[in-house]
Amino acid sequence: MLVEENKQLTRDIFALELTGEFPYEKATSGQFVNLLIGDGKGHPLRRPLSIASCNPETKTLTLVYRVVGDGTKWLSERCPGDVLDVLGPLGRGFPAPQNPGTVLVVGGGVGVPPLYQLAKELGAAGFKLHIVLGFKNQDEVFWTREFAEFGDVVVCTEDGSLGKKGFVTEALNVNENWTTLYSCGPKPMLKALKAHFQGRDIKGYVSLEERMACGVGACWGCTCLDPDGSAAKRICKEGPVFSWEEVSL
Amino acid sequence: MSVDLEVDLGGLQLRNPVMPASGCFGFGREYGEYYSLDELGAVVVKATTLYPRLGNPTPRVTEVTGGMLNAIGLANPGLDEVLAEELPWLAGQNVPIFVNVAGDTVEDYCEVVEQVSRSGLAQAVELNVSCPNVKLGGLAFGVDATVLRGLVEEVRKVCTLPLFVKLSPNVTRVQDLALAAACGGADGLSLINTLIGMQIDLTTRKPVLANKTGGLSGRAIKPVAVRMVYDVAREVDLPIIGMGGIYSGRDAAEFIMAGAWAVEVGTANFTDPYACPRIIAELRSFMQEEGIKNIEEIRGCAL
Repeated sequence: MLVEENKQLTRDIFALELTGEFPYEKATSGQFVNLLIGDGKGHPLRRPLSIASCNPETKTLTLVYRVVGDGTKWLSERCPGDVLDVLGPLGRGFPAPQNPGTVLVVGGGVGVPPLYQLAKELGAAGFKLHIVLGFKNQDEVFWTREFAEFGDVVVCTEDGSLGKKGFVTEALNVNENWTTLYSCGPKPMLKALKAHFQGRDIKGYVSLEERMACGVGACWGCTCLDPDGSAAKRICKEGPVFSWEEVSL
Repeated sequence: MSVDLEVDLGGLQLRNPVMPASGCFGFGREYGEYYSLDELGAVVVKATTLYPRLGNPTPRVTEVTGGMLNAIGLANPGLDEVLAEELPWLAGQNVPIFVNVAGDTVEDYCEVVEQVSRSGLAQAVELNVSCPNVKLGGLAFGVDATVLRGLVEEVRKVCTLPLFVKLSPNVTRVQDLALAAACGGADGLSLINTLIGMQIDLTTRKPVLANKTGGLSGRAIKPVAVRMVYDVAREVDLPIIGMGGIYSGRDAAEFIMAGAWAVEVGTANFTDPYACPRIIAELRSFMQEEGIKNIEEIRGCAL
């Protein structure tokens, strides 16, 4: 695929917009692609990046990533016109809400972008959305205005430098009438959310992250366990999105 | 010029010498969505144990320069499910099946091999005595010549299929283990499994892998693997399946020149899901360019 734009959103987070040959129609929100770094000689493992936005009409695919090592650093240096080898879409994305009513969307840090396409689709389908986005501090905040197009947005920062101070769970009143929760972010956040809504009548879905090798379900590198620890699931194949009842967080 | 890629691997006819390596290809279903598996010489399935195994905690994989470390820990659904769900599907794909077998005890190995032999669903067994990521079994059998010979002798008694023994590079002299496997009754040898390695996260200041150590594979290990295939081919008169960092048809040709009869492709599948069919096509082109009519013409030519 061709790089159209590679825009820096924060100190270490970039939004990569790609165009060209891709099965756009097949992609669903919450799926990911596996992206080759360079010619793969120095970096044999592709980088799994969530689909932030996919538009079959304009033929654009947006991926948001954080620079954490040499591979993502290389990616951050790509310019418009550069060609990237993109495998996907892969995995199982967010299912549609089973019940009508207000949908809760909770993202943390670089876990925010995978929820963008979902929010866009749910908003278009007429769902009322309550969106809570958590970041470390004001310098790490991005895309809050983009999400505001689809519903109410509450921003939380751990140090209180922007929006509400504290973790996302502190901004969530369990007595509100939310029917479905979609979430992506650090595992402690997902775990806290599950505990926060324990016993409440709300269907929860979480998108998990793990180091991957093949990205297609062949190597069993990125597994997680079911709640009683008796069976493994592949995050790249059965996930990355799971109902929070089917995985141990 | 027409080129013949067929190989006779100790009585087993393969349409070409290229097969995906165990652990890198599941039971074939996933890459079967990318291309038709009957293009392959054979498929070596994920290590199968008597009972299901969940494997090690994550992270289980990490990239290093020119390669990767893995510590999956032989995660697999266990023999019953492999025989009931996985092999029947793969057997319908018109490709020879090598079942990689691992165990904690001699009895485990024998039970799995006997049932795989009887199932009629596999064409060969690859005995995994070289997994570096599990405490029991695996490598415990693969680093001591006497222990290895004993295991192969027992497995031989219940194995009615061609029996390949997959050797570990984590030994002083791989030839000694190769000879022990041969004396025990192996029909062939696969080498090399991964080399034990480690990567430390400079932020957490701890090993990246939850298992701490992992098996190194990929381009980085190719020269070690070629040398070991060469060493074994000089001393042991058994068919060899060579592997370790094969990414291209030229890499495959290098192993064949070092004495391999066939090759397995592992990590390359992760970089390029079409690695195996590409390598087959590249090997054919290489032979055409070099005027090589068949694999036998160059097998072991470097020895």
